[in-house]
Amino acid sequence: MPKKRNSTRVVCMALCAAALATLALAGNASAKLVGEFTKFQQCPWTTEGVNKCLYSVTAGGEVVLGTKKVPVEKSVTIQGGFAKPVEGFSKFFAAKNGETMSKAAQNVPGGLLGIVPPEKSPALVKALSAFFFENALTGVTSTLELTSASEIKVSEVNLASKEGVALKMPIKVHLENPFLGKSCYVGSSGSPIIWELTTGITSPTKPNEPIEGSSGTVEFLESGRILRLNEAVLVDNNWSAPAASGCGGILSFLVNPIINGQIGLPSAKGKNAAILKKNTISISTATAVKKVDSENP
Amino acid sequence: MKRNATKTLLVGALAALAISALFAASANAAPAWRFNGTELSGSETILGGAEKSGLKVKGMTTTCDNFLYKITISNKSGTGEGSVTELPLYNCYTDTVCTVSAITPEALPWPSNLTSVSGTPYIVIKNVKVGILYGNEECVLDGFLVSVTGSAGGLISNASENATFNSSSFTATGTKLSAFGEKVEWTGVFPTEAFQWHREQALSVS
Repeated sequence: MPKKRNSTRVVCMALCAAALATLALAGNASAKLVGEFTKFQQCPWTTEGVNKCLYSVTAGGEVVLGTKKVPVEKSVTIQGGFAKPVEGFSKFFAAKNGETMSKAAQNVPGGLLGIVPPEKSPALVKALSAFFFENALTGVTSTLELTSASEIKVSEVNLASKEGVALKMPIKVHLENPFLGKSCYVGSSGSPIIWELTTGITSPTKPNEPIEGSSGTVEFLESGRILRLNEAVLVDNNWSAPAASGCGGILSFLVNPIINGQIGLPSAKGKNAAILKKNTISISTATAVKKVDSENP
Repeated sequence: MKRNATKTLLVGALAALAISALFAASANAAPAWRFNGTELSGSETILGGAEKSGLKVKGMTTTCDNFLYKITISNKSGTGEGSVTELPLYNCYTDTVCTVSAITPEALPWPSNLTSVSGTPYIVIKNVKVGILYGNEECVLDGFLVSVTGSAGGLISNASENATFNSSSFTATGTKLSAFGEKVEWTGVFPTEAFQWHREQALSVS
């Protein structure tokens, strides 16, 4: 009988020890990178082919989509890894947690005030439109979303040298408002908006004029293991945007044209702009991140 | 009426003379190469080596222990000119984990000229272009060819027969070297000694 009590105690202790060990390991998994390297926590540096890690925060600027200008008031983070360049460009690898580009809902100034549904619209649409758009309380937000992380292309050389495309990104713009529903997008995975951002000077289609980006100031951290560009400016004002789709849920066949008319969609090249300011771009090598990780168990 | 015209003519002539004198003074202000006090005629070759010359970007300094150079100098209309024809760099390293796999001056020769800023002589080297290839897997610039371009101004000391390149000499001459689209600091002291027709003669600039 005492033998059975003892064995139960041993099993309990073993289970407790295992639980503690699991907790300890779980704690370490998110605390191994130190110093400036902590921002590369979501870099897939163990994935084959990943040569470098990227962590970039955009804290300002604006996106001009057709007739609407949306300031970047909430920071947007882009993170992940990228391979060695092939013909100047590196393939991108998504962040480990899947949040390659953070979703920051930016307020559309003035919402979509001024929307006037066509005269022939049903009374319900007119009433809903008036309720949701023609007041200052129910704003509209615009969120940039990546359509595919693997389609991102990076050119470190162009980023630093202020020449050519530094970052190519396929995106879609999510417009949100209770009336628009949850599936109102400009661009889609099948037909994304393609941004070809540069730190140099753009050559846009008219009526847009050339605008200039900046690689900001360069700084080396952690003994040359991290390169940081401060206050970089990435620009592209030569992209086109398709018509909006999925706006208004089951009434999308009526609401889509209203939104397109209000924003001026589809919008051809030369009428849109992405001016991403206050970018802090940090890059490290996967080897350095791996080493720091292994040195700090 | 005639007196007034004469006066205007005189004033005009004096003004023209004053302007000419001013331009002449400016032209004379550009210094020339001299050996033992005599203005160089023809050309001469200067060979030398700087000790510990470094290029600095925030967070990383690239140093070369041996920074050799070859400049052909001459005077043209009383103004010193030159041409940097060779610039081999040896024993280069950084103060970070990055190594220097290769460092090569490009698009030589680089033209240069003497100039005077507030009475002090300087040498200005133009069209500078140096490619630096960094190494080490941990280095963020591993395999990255960094191009340093621009112009460089160095203060010439007749007393110690050398040219000093630093942030003050760059500011004084309005020159700038850039890498990654921004300013790079270059420091180094270069002896100015003739190695051809005027060996062991005192080289000065005035």
